[in-house]
Amino acid sequence: MTVLLRTTTLRVAYGDVRVLDGIDLEIARGEFVALIGPNGAGKTTLLHAIAATAPLCDGHVAIDGHDLAKTPREAKQALGLAIDPPRLPALLTGRECLALFAGARGLPAIPPATLALGETLSLTPMLDRRVASYSLGMRQKLGIMLGLIGEPPLLLLDEPFNGLDPRSALAFKPHLASLVARGDTSVLLATHSLDIAERHASRVVLLMDGRVRRSWDAGELAAMREHPERSLEKAMAEACSA
Amino acid sequence: MSALHPALRADWLVLRRTGAVASVRMFGAPVLLLACCVALACGDLYKGYGWCLAAAALPALGGSHAIAHRRVLDALERWRFGWCGALPIARGRTAWTLSIVTIVALLVSLMFVSALLLIVSVSAPHRGDLPYALAGIDLALIVGTSVAMVRALRIGARTNHAGGIREPVLALPWLNDTRLPHLPDWQRRAALVRWRRGGSFVMVGIVLGAVPMGAPMVPVAGLVLLVLSWSWLAVAMRASADATTDAVRLLGATPLDFARARRASFRYPVAAALCGLVWMIVGIALLRQGMIAPAWIVLAGIASAWPMLRILRTTRDTESSA
Repeated sequence: MTVLLRTTTLRVAYGDVRVLDGIDLEIARGEFVALIGPNGAGKTTLLHAIAATAPLCDGHVAIDGHDLAKTPREAKQALGLAIDPPRLPALLTGRECLALFAGARGLPAIPPATLALGETLSLTPMLDRRVASYSLGMRQKLGIMLGLIGEPPLLLLDEPFNGLDPRSALAFKPHLASLVARGDTSVLLATHSLDIAERHASRVVLLMDGRVRRSWDAGELAAMREHPERSLEKAMAEACSA
Repeated sequence: MSALHPALRADWLVLRRTGAVASVRMFGAPVLLLACCVALACGDLYKGYGWCLAAAALPALGGSHAIAHRRVLDALERWRFGWCGALPIARGRTAWTLSIVTIVALLVSLMFVSALLLIVSVSAPHRGDLPYALAGIDLALIVGTSVAMVRALRIGARTNHAGGIREPVLALPWLNDTRLPHLPDWQRRAALVRWRRGGSFVMVGIVLGAVPMGAPMVPVAGLVLLVLSWSWLAVAMRASADATTDAVRLLGATPLDFARARRASFRYPVAAALCGLVWMIVGIALLRQGMIAPAWIVLAGIASAWPMLRILRTTRDTESSA
């Protein structure tokens, strides 16, 4: 399997606080990796370090074979980061946000697949209204659509199910699974929803104190699903206290 | 202190911790405004003293109203919908705190104007008339700030600050860059929100009320146009720079072509600056005071150059750090 993302000894610090302390991570094409860990473990920072929206103290990120520091545009072409709801521009409409991101990605217009995703998430009727009038869930949906625009090979999602209504969450999970199943898209999902990680991920990585503490591969996750007495929740608790 | 809104202390701590740049952003505009007023009052740009006083009092009135109106509305929104929004704080306490802060800022401004006038009185051509200038500017500051305070508190905190902004009467498709569509819309709406927060065209009435009795209407219209176009220029440039910074940050994870983004970011501010400049030239022509034209153009240039440089720096910084 070809490696789509490779991070080497990634270090990020905010002032004196070291948030990521030498993260080595590889994600293959078509892999669904869930990033779990307690609050402050560095999950969000890792996603932002990979997306070049957090400054690195040390280390390298390579996406689809392109070094993020040396050839950022080529690396970012293969990357999609879902936008945090509070960061969305209140003065633009949802459709204008999508057009802005499509333009930044070099696309001539909003791709039909993105508009279809809007339909799946029931956001279409709201797309011509200003973001200022959106609820948290609507902003979350728009943030997801912005991350997935152009269907880049590597998707970085930070708690995308927060604020989503059950119907939209139910529709989004198979959409994500179908993208991964096609084999050309990989997902790195930071989440506290261990059931989603256990059910949909092909690998789960536990991050603690800025380091990778433990990871569970597809075989271990399959075993957890088969045995009701075993669960990712228990496995995580054991790994955290070890 | 306990009777004041708790967010005031937090705002003060944030201001102290964010350092010199934040302080310049906070105090720079009022200090520059007051210095300009004093310079106009003491200068020899106008032939009649009445005009000289009007030229000083007008920006004091308009500027103090705009600054106070916007900052009170910003604080109301921040305190009502920010981290402390859910705290059980009486509405009266918010109004009381903002009144105290505004009065303190007004007193400091009055002292600053007095000190400046005292310093420049040594060489001012209208030395004997400086008490009148002091009274004129002080009165303008008090009226401008008080009206702004009352209006802002009546409006209160708004949930949807983007509401009511219409699409432009004249569609200008050439402003849009296909690689960064709708950035000019973002900049224009940000400028309009900021312009309205400064009190918008209500100021024209207040400004006209401060013009000396018997003054000819054509030069008065010229002066009003000058003040308004300069204010618009400053507002539009700063709003454009802020919107660009936000846009570049938002698009940080995309393969954005920064050279093209830089060019796209300049389209709206340049168009807004040209519009402002046209009105400024009309104002100067109506005023029939050819010698103030260079001063206004230079001031307009300074007001617009800093945000333009910020746009340049934002796109360069992001590019190099990527």
